[in-house]
Amino acid sequence: MHGTPEQLIACHECDLLMERVSNHPNEDVICPRCHARIYYTTVNSIERLLALSIAGLILFIPANIFPILSLQVFGQSQSEIIFQSALSLFDGGLVLVALLILLFAIVVPLFQLVILFYISFSLHYHRTGRLLRQAMHGYQHLRGWGMLEIFLLGVLISIIKLKDIADLDIGLGLYSLAALIVVTTLSSVFFNPHQIWHEIDLNRQKARTNE
Amino acid sequence: MSNQLPRFKSARESGYLLCIDCEKLHPLSLEGEHCDRCGARLHSRVPNSMNLSWASLIAAVLLFLPANLLPIMTFKSFGQGEPSTILSGIIHLLDQDMLLIGLIVLIASIVVPVLKIIAMTILLCTVQFRLQTNLRQKTLMFRIVEWIGRWSMLDVFVIGILVALVQLGNIAHIEGNDGATAFAVVVLLTMFSAIVFDTRLIWDNGVTDSPANDDQKDTQ
Repeated sequence: MHGTPEQLIACHECDLLMERVSNHPNEDVICPRCHARIYYTTVNSIERLLALSIAGLILFIPANIFPILSLQVFGQSQSEIIFQSALSLFDGGLVLVALLILLFAIVVPLFQLVILFYISFSLHYHRTGRLLRQAMHGYQHLRGWGMLEIFLLGVLISIIKLKDIADLDIGLGLYSLAALIVVTTLSSVFFNPHQIWHEIDLNRQKARTNE
Repeated sequence: MSNQLPRFKSARESGYLLCIDCEKLHPLSLEGEHCDRCGARLHSRVPNSMNLSWASLIAAVLLFLPANLLPIMTFKSFGQGEPSTILSGIIHLLDQDMLLIGLIVLIASIVVPVLKIIAMTILLCTVQFRLQTNLRQKTLMFRIVEWIGRWSMLDVFVIGILVALVQLGNIAHIEGNDGATAFAVVVLLTMFSAIVFDTRLIWDNGVTDSPANDDQKDTQ
């Protein structure tokens, strides 16, 4: 094969070897064999991720401390925050299911936001974050395990199931959750692993020459 | 445009391997070493991919039965009420003319897991028995399966939300049952089966088809 490894690239989905080409910001480089997206350019990726992760961390608080729904039957009322959907299953003995809800609806989304903030903050201010590699691995392995949007659909289905038996009020927590989902979805769109790894490379090279 | 190589050749055939974590290309001789950019262990193909994928898929199939036969939750009002399974819950929704919601739950809880199990079986068989099939279709199938699989967690979240909300003592009360655990584990196992599956294996066994005429670069 011609060229050095720097001029070559392989497709992560089908392992096709090809020559690296330069692309314009709005062009994706697509694998000619399996049509996977090999690399692409995201304009202002780091700055957007920094802004989105801060917004997400702020929204995470009201989404988790205010009730998402409250229910009234015969004068009795009951409201719930996200955490309670895990807690009540735990009390009922379904420990594993409770744990999964806790992970997918609270812990993983929070971790992703914290990691994203760390990565984008370090790269934006050119800090040599010692944990950058671990943070990147962490974020990439957590992809797909944050399930806030599925949780939201679950809330909507619960509303429809209960609307004939009881009066339901939508709480501030649900609106915050919806806004948080917009932020996390956008941040996964702007998260460009190929580009961020490249930035980390440059960062380390710069740090080395400064020494 | 990337230059069209005379014939499709994988990185492994050409003496390279790709770090799956950061997508840096290394010489094949570094197999088992650590990537100098991201520190991950380098493997030309995910180790044990087929075994792990088969194992989780078979475990998911075995648990699929209890997940659908055992009750997932019980609704009690003034001492009366009966446990419901995934299917009876869907039938109840459809009976009450909640067609759209019934269909969403039907798709998320039954159609998607079943299709996912079938699709993973087809993929694993193709690789295991070196069947000659349309590889691009297989890759597309895998991408759909991987994307849609997590939506099966929907019913698990609904159970959590309902149990937390409907705790009004004697008036109305919902509790979760063991079917929910079995179902959650089925979803988890099918997701794991897809995650450990190395898509590059699909292409390793395929005959090298002639270079496609398709555009190599799409504009978004």
